[in-house]
Amino acid sequence: MEYVVEMKNITMDFPGIRANDDVSLSVKKGEIFALVGENGAGKSTLMNILYGILTPTTGEVIIKGKKVTAFNPKNTIAAGVGMVHQHFMLVPSFTVAQNIVMSREPRKWGLFCDDRGAVEAVRSLSEEYGLHVNPEDVVREISVGLQQRVEILKTLYRGADVLILDEPTAVLTPQETDELFAILRRVVKEKGMTVIIITHKLYEVMAISDRVAVMRQGKLVHLEETKNVTERSLAAMMVGRDVVQVQQQEKAAPGEEKIRVRDLQVQDNRGLPAVRGLSLSVRAGEVVGIAAIEGNGQSELLEAITGMRTYTGGSIHVNGTDVSGMTPGQIRDLGLSHVPEDRLSTGVSPDADITDNLLVGKHRQAEFTKFGFHQNRKAIEGYASRLFEKFDIRASGMDARVGSLSGGNMQKVVIAREFSFPSDVLVISQPTRGVDIGANEFIHSRILEKRNEGAAVLLCSADLDEVFRLSDRIVTIYEGKITGEFEAGTITKAELGYYMTGDRKAGGAIEA
Amino acid sequence: MKRKFDWSYALSLGLAVTLALFLGGVIMALTGHDPIAAYRELLRGATGCSSLGEFLTSAFTKRQFGNTIEYAMVLFLTGLACALGARVGIFNVGGEGQLYLGAIVSAYIGVLLKDTAPILAVLAAALGAVAIGGFYAWIPGVLKVKLKVNEVITTIMMNTIAIYLCSWLSNGPWKTTVPNRVSGTDPLNPDFTFDKLIRGSNLTTAIFASIVIAFLVWYVMSKTTVGYEMKLVGQNSRFARFAGLSADRLTILAMTVSGMMCGLVGMFEVYGLKGNYQDGISNEYYFDGLLVAMIMRYKPVGIIGMSFAFAFLKVGAQGMELNAGVPGELYRIIQAIIIFFMAAQNGMTGIVKKWFAKKGGAVRG
Repeated sequence: MEYVVEMKNITMDFPGIRANDDVSLSVKKGEIFALVGENGAGKSTLMNILYGILTPTTGEVIIKGKKVTAFNPKNTIAAGVGMVHQHFMLVPSFTVAQNIVMSREPRKWGLFCDDRGAVEAVRSLSEEYGLHVNPEDVVREISVGLQQRVEILKTLYRGADVLILDEPTAVLTPQETDELFAILRRVVKEKGMTVIIITHKLYEVMAISDRVAVMRQGKLVHLEETKNVTERSLAAMMVGRDVVQVQQQEKAAPGEEKIRVRDLQVQDNRGLPAVRGLSLSVRAGEVVGIAAIEGNGQSELLEAITGMRTYTGGSIHVNGTDVSGMTPGQIRDLGLSHVPEDRLSTGVSPDADITDNLLVGKHRQAEFTKFGFHQNRKAIEGYASRLFEKFDIRASGMDARVGSLSGGNMQKVVIAREFSFPSDVLVISQPTRGVDIGANEFIHSRILEKRNEGAAVLLCSADLDEVFRLSDRIVTIYEGKITGEFEAGTITKAELGYYMTGDRKAGGAIEA
Repeated sequence: MKRKFDWSYALSLGLAVTLALFLGGVIMALTGHDPIAAYRELLRGATGCSSLGEFLTSAFTKRQFGNTIEYAMVLFLTGLACALGARVGIFNVGGEGQLYLGAIVSAYIGVLLKDTAPILAVLAAALGAVAIGGFYAWIPGVLKVKLKVNEVITTIMMNTIAIYLCSWLSNGPWKTTVPNRVSGTDPLNPDFTFDKLIRGSNLTTAIFASIVIAFLVWYVMSKTTVGYEMKLVGQNSRFARFAGLSADRLTILAMTVSGMMCGLVGMFEVYGLKGNYQDGISNEYYFDGLLVAMIMRYKPVGIIGMSFAFAFLKVGAQGMELNAGVPGELYRIIQAIIIFFMAAQNGMTGIVKKWFAKKGGAVRG
């Protein structure tokens, strides 16, 4: 039997979007198969179908010669396919052994968990595969790299010989990545396992895979032996050779410096350096777009500028004022508006109604209060309904909970609020993530409108098309540093993708 | 923002109360009491009246009804204090300790100032109670905001500290010198105590101050800029910070005011009821208020209404015990059943809806 996994003509429709469009691919026994593509290209959807979490709209999946009839992870695991998700599914307070044997614990008298038996089982398993862990360590206290090992061991314990890894290196340090790759090579070679790895880091594809499939906008655009491709050619396939849409706008006439970042150092939530000595300027009347793959410090950079995160070194000036130690509110008072990356957790109060969400920030203005403390509901409701109309927010009414709105309408609430301040500095992150086409165009024209009015706009988006369409200047960030800076129209997307992966020379993959 | 009345919640609340009273009746019947007679005694115990006519004409002369109103006052003040904190997302479980400290400090001020004008002494006592209660709530507020210390744990611990501190003070340094009294502070100058509104009852002029306070809390929470900010902080504090609100300041402020109110309730107990500080001055009053606040989902108007219902039950239970021989603990059972049903409200609504859906489907089929 040559193929362990065959996926035939898979199409997956979600409301309003086709995530997979007639995708067919087959994976050979004993190979490392890489699946690459931009965010939203449909890689994870495809693998979730293979793993049985999703049922495809049409198409069929054949695992080891047997056609899958009921899509269910339980059946998939029984068929010997295991998946390690990007976000680990471990119980932090349990030991390594307890996590691995969970749901299939060795029993004592058929009733009690046999903890010692679990430790022994895990120990012999980890020796067999060369995945060294201490079964008695508590998961909370071990490194992310080790946690990933625990996840892999969990699938092995359940008898998997086909392993799906979703962005396994996104959370790893380079050393941990090297170790992971060494392990993968060993299990494939010595144990005859098959590995499918989802990634968007091209040098990793070159370093580890035997074959590579490229996805773009839900379609499989290329399937090739890795030795026949280069990082550069993969990048071109990933983003497509489409002609970059010309900006419908006159040339920018940048004015004074509005955002000034110098030698900035910022740490991420784990206390590891995320932004490492980054300098950047945004001038009045221009849009500066940040092109970077997720997790390269761009989120931390924007949070530092807007005051949502403290920084450990360097300086940030907004409208000429050093913002060190300022709260987000104080920075807003300097004339900054912010569309945050995660609208649900940061950009809105989901339990409050549309009116209350639109008002924040202006609620203390004289026109909305009486005697300085009493809320003037009439004026507030009038103001909110004007914004509601102007930004074309679609909802059952002004008193609808914002949490009940669709992603696009929720984003319009954020945009409506943030764009109605008289601010001349805008920090915008993922303005159209999960937003439908119509709202997308609307939001883009609002951003350009602000720029034409002379605002300085710092834009960050995972959608390269968006960065291209809106930006006057594009900077690429990789691992917390700027790797390139380009005037609009002087670079193609393919070249850009290449700077986003760390300015590596074509074909010069990292040896693990 | 239109004020929407939550009908489904009101319905399940009514259902819970009815079911609780029914189950209470079943328990009474099982223990050999006559439920109907017992509930009649409960009504009489809470109002002092035997008929609706009597209630309408002379309720405000009845000792029992006065006690019911007084206890409702304690419940809505403490319940609103709890709601203030909850609105910004901080859960003040320490009201009991704040109440005790307010009681003993106001009692001690009254003793110290026994020769001054009553108005001055009472004002000073009220200020003292408010200050100590507020300060005692400010501590866990600051700990929560600055050091992320869980306020539930700190406030529960601080309750114990406060209660034993008061016990020590009232049995030690501040113990009365009046002969034949074993504990408690000196009795207050009789001119200082609040006037009774109904002879023989617990109801005093403190109710007027309480009504004003309750109105203010409702007003601030639902009509003002600060109330709006508090709501946003409580709903999503990250968003509030992002939008430029000082979430930390508001959290500490709400917690402090919550403590002030509890301190004042302590003072009301001393100056209205007991005439001095004594151990056990609050019989877990704050926790009853907290329950009311939780059941009514921290909505001010609901808290005030439910306070009267619970006060009615509790005071009525005493009459029931006295005249029908049903143990007063039954009140606790009924209260617990109501809370139990309200906690299960979401699940119950789901079951009822499903049941109706199935029935509807069967009819159509």
